[in-house]
Amino acid sequence: MPRLGDRLFGLIVCAGALAYAVSALHIKVGFMSDPVGSKTFPLIVAGIAGLCGLIMIVRPDDDPAWPKGSSILSLGICIATLIGYALALKPGGFLLPTAIASGILSWQILPDRRLALIIGTLLSSGLFLIFKYLLGLSLFAFPRWILL
Amino acid sequence: MSNFPVSNFRKVLIAPLFTIIAAGFSVSAPAAECIAPANPGGGWDFTCRQIGKILHDIGQVDDPVQVTNMAGGGGGLAFSHVVNERKDDSDLIVAASQATATRLAQNAYAGMTADQVRFVGAIGADPGVIIVAKDSPFQSLNDMVAAIESDPGSVAFAGGSAAGGFDHLKVLMILKEAGFTDIGKIKYIGVDGGGDAITQTIGGFTQAMTGDISEAVGFLKSGEVRALAVLTEERIEGFEDIPTAREQGIDVVAVNWRGLYVPKGISDADFEAWGRRLQAVADSMAWKEAMKANGLAPFTKVGSDFQTWVDGVIADTEALSREIGVIQ
Amino acid sequence: MELIDNLALGFAIALSPYTLMLAVIGCFLGTMIGALPGLGPANGVAILIPITFSLGLDATAALVLLTSVYYGAMYGGRISSILLNIPGDEPAMMTTLDGYPMAKSGRAGDALVISGFASFVGTFFATVALALVAPLLARIAYLFGPAEYFALYLLAFATLGGLASKNQAKAAFASMTGLGIAMIGLDNATGLPRFTGGNLHLFDGIDFLVAIVGLFALSEVFLFIESGGRNTAIGIKLGKITIPWRDIVATRWTLLRSSVVGFVAGVLPGAGASLGSFLTYMMEKSIAGKKGAFGSGVAKGVAAPEAGNNSAAGGALVPMLTLGVPGSGTTAVLLALLMTLNITPGPTLFADRPEVVWGLIASLMIANFVLLAMNVPMVRIFVRVLSVPPAVLLPGVTMVSFVGIYSLSGSYFDLVLMIAFGIMGYVFRKLSIPTVPVILGILLGNQMEDNLRRAMILSDGDWTFLFSTPIAVGLWIFAVAGFTAPFFLRRLIRTPKGIS
Repeated sequence: MPRLGDRLFGLIVCAGALAYAVSALHIKVGFMSDPVGSKTFPLIVAGIAGLCGLIMIVRPDDDPAWPKGSSILSLGICIATLIGYALALKPGGFLLPTAIASGILSWQILPDRRLALIIGTLLSSGLFLIFKYLLGLSLFAFPRWILL
Repeated sequence: MSNFPVSNFRKVLIAPLFTIIAAGFSVSAPAAECIAPANPGGGWDFTCRQIGKILHDIGQVDDPVQVTNMAGGGGGLAFSHVVNERKDDSDLIVAASQATATRLAQNAYAGMTADQVRFVGAIGADPGVIIVAKDSPFQSLNDMVAAIESDPGSVAFAGGSAAGGFDHLKVLMILKEAGFTDIGKIKYIGVDGGGDAITQTIGGFTQAMTGDISEAVGFLKSGEVRALAVLTEERIEGFEDIPTAREQGIDVVAVNWRGLYVPKGISDADFEAWGRRLQAVADSMAWKEAMKANGLAPFTKVGSDFQTWVDGVIADTEALSREIGVIQ
Repeated sequence: MELIDNLALGFAIALSPYTLMLAVIGCFLGTMIGALPGLGPANGVAILIPITFSLGLDATAALVLLTSVYYGAMYGGRISSILLNIPGDEPAMMTTLDGYPMAKSGRAGDALVISGFASFVGTFFATVALALVAPLLARIAYLFGPAEYFALYLLAFATLGGLASKNQAKAAFASMTGLGIAMIGLDNATGLPRFTGGNLHLFDGIDFLVAIVGLFALSEVFLFIESGGRNTAIGIKLGKITIPWRDIVATRWTLLRSSVVGFVAGVLPGAGASLGSFLTYMMEKSIAGKKGAFGSGVAKGVAAPEAGNNSAAGGALVPMLTLGVPGSGTTAVLLALLMTLNITPGPTLFADRPEVVWGLIASLMIANFVLLAMNVPMVRIFVRVLSVPPAVLLPGVTMVSFVGIYSLSGSYFDLVLMIAFGIMGYVFRKLSIPTVPVILGILLGNQMEDNLRRAMILSDGDWTFLFSTPIAVGLWIFAVAGFTAPFFLRRLIRTPKGIS
């Protein structure tokens, strides 16, 4: 079946809009309710979104070029790296997580591990100097327990 | 409007530099920290930055006070942080205002209560005010009350706080005091700040504005609006022609104070030390200038006096909120 | 005269060494960001907002810095369009049509100078017009009550979804996504949480900066990684740079027409710079006719879209400053900046904070001259930027985004949320669902709902109140027309070759 992308997405949109509407119906009603209340606007939003989803199913656009195997792997690695980075930034200090994360990203673009290592190290230390000393943001170079 | 303080830019640029340099040298005792329970730019942030700066400038603390912004839950996140994680930190102060008291009274901090911290003091306040457009038929607060008594729907109020917030409560307090009891019928719309509330009133979409006087200074000076009453004990310096509500026979005092609280678990000696420091800030010229520049009126209550006063305000707000149904 | 007084106030602020320095830094950064392939004004400004914010700059300073970046990026966008055939962003797309052929035929320097000068003319016109028009619009503020504001927000979504996109259903869905996200957090009217799942992090709603950086900047990184680094620079030689006076004189009417049309397109809420460059290019093409040889590398084909999109960029500031309704993606980002600085854009801004408005306008005038200097004689510096390898650039952009958001809240929650928005932006862009309406929805959602509720409180629940004044009715008509116009326009204007 052609144009699967839009049809599938339209289906997801409809399901999402339905879930949103159901959740809107469970909003606690406040004390002095005004004529519109807390539920009306979210319900309108869910209604229109659901309608848009239906239109996407009925009249889909051409499919875009979806990424192929190696690209999907690259994207997956990239997203996993970023999530890991987000979790590591606070406990791990700035330098090490940043060097590793930017190294991995750079490696996904240019498959040269030595170069990625160099880019990661330089980016991490360079950005740290700029952010910490030029812009005065409060960043910690190393995990806090090292300082204690 | 031609006196924009251009020189302030330099101060703004230099201040962080000093902070950075100073922070680089201070290795010893921990510096005092002030938590502003909101993003930079608002009233709580102002309280922390001004008080913190003056504390250091007049030598009440050795190191510059570090300001931490902890936005979330209308101040609830910072409150819970102080109650749970910093309960005996004697180097910590937290910015507070009437909004803190209102939210505590209305149980908006997830069950946490005012007695879980100690209120140090207030050193400035923004007086409440009721404003109408210049061509409004109302000449006094009593004209307005009379109009509401004959047709509650005919007067809509605009204010900068949400329904049930302090600006809304001011109106309800006035009407209750004037003997109008059906306060559920009063029309109030909460807009984005006092400026918008005044614009709506000038445009005729609402008939009156309830807010703080600092929000109305420009409009009052240009003559586009009139103030029916200020909600203070005495008339305000610089606005002597505006009568108080009390003079008009409606005894309501409502000011948006700015002050501090500290963790519950610190020693009485530490608590009193913060009180003394805050008093010193209140007495400084720098604070007087900061108040003037930001439309605040003097309002100094420090130490156990203040704690008693806040407890009273919270109890009153709670009773009123219960009555109008904001809380069950 | 009031205008002169206001401008004097503005220049007193803009000419202070500190503000001037910020404007120059902003112009430089902006041109650089604009010149980088794939980065344009919206994501450039988005990345820089959190950092500006953490620096604790005051309102005027922050606004001057970031609008200089905005203008700079509008200038810089032409560099990669002309030299690489890769537009930095959508408005710069039309410049590739004649700019790249011109560069291929050995006239890269000429193309850069002509487009640089066209950018200057467009910006100059727009800034003057902004100074003249904005105060007039500010006076109609008192005519806007809840019903009118509700209709105005509707107009912004309608024109954005109609004029500026290809598939209305997708644009409308994007708007609803934004509005739906805006509902998360405490309900303004009742103080009770909605759609938070009890998570305290969500009580204040989703920070639009998190959404903006994720949707605009991270999704760009994902798209690039997917492409496997195909977009690498190909060496076009930049010869000696001389000023092609003959071409500049020949384009004088083109420049003037394009500036006017661009400005008007920019003022329309929701339309913005893309429409400005598209309309001006199409207009000049049809005026020139077949002899004009548009598309083969002619001076007018470079001058028109650049004057148009830069003028539209200025025009887009008008509805943003006076009514709080942004006219483009970038102004939506700037609106986010204003809101975080606690400046309520809109009618009262001109009365309450004249130093912000006029300081900004004066800075823009100065920035424009700085930009002309940077973009004509000094253009070589920025051409160098194009040789930064993506393996360095993209990790750099990502890390700056992370640090910016992290320095705002210090919580991993926002970072993870930003990644989620990045993935959402990637999927949306693959399916050609516009991301700007999402941002607009997040920014305006609460306002839109609040105004609807206020209107109903004032009217005691009478829905006809929404259509009760001439202004409200007018706005509704424009909204419907703006949303449906493309159905008719598409038959009139044939899409030029190379734009799908």
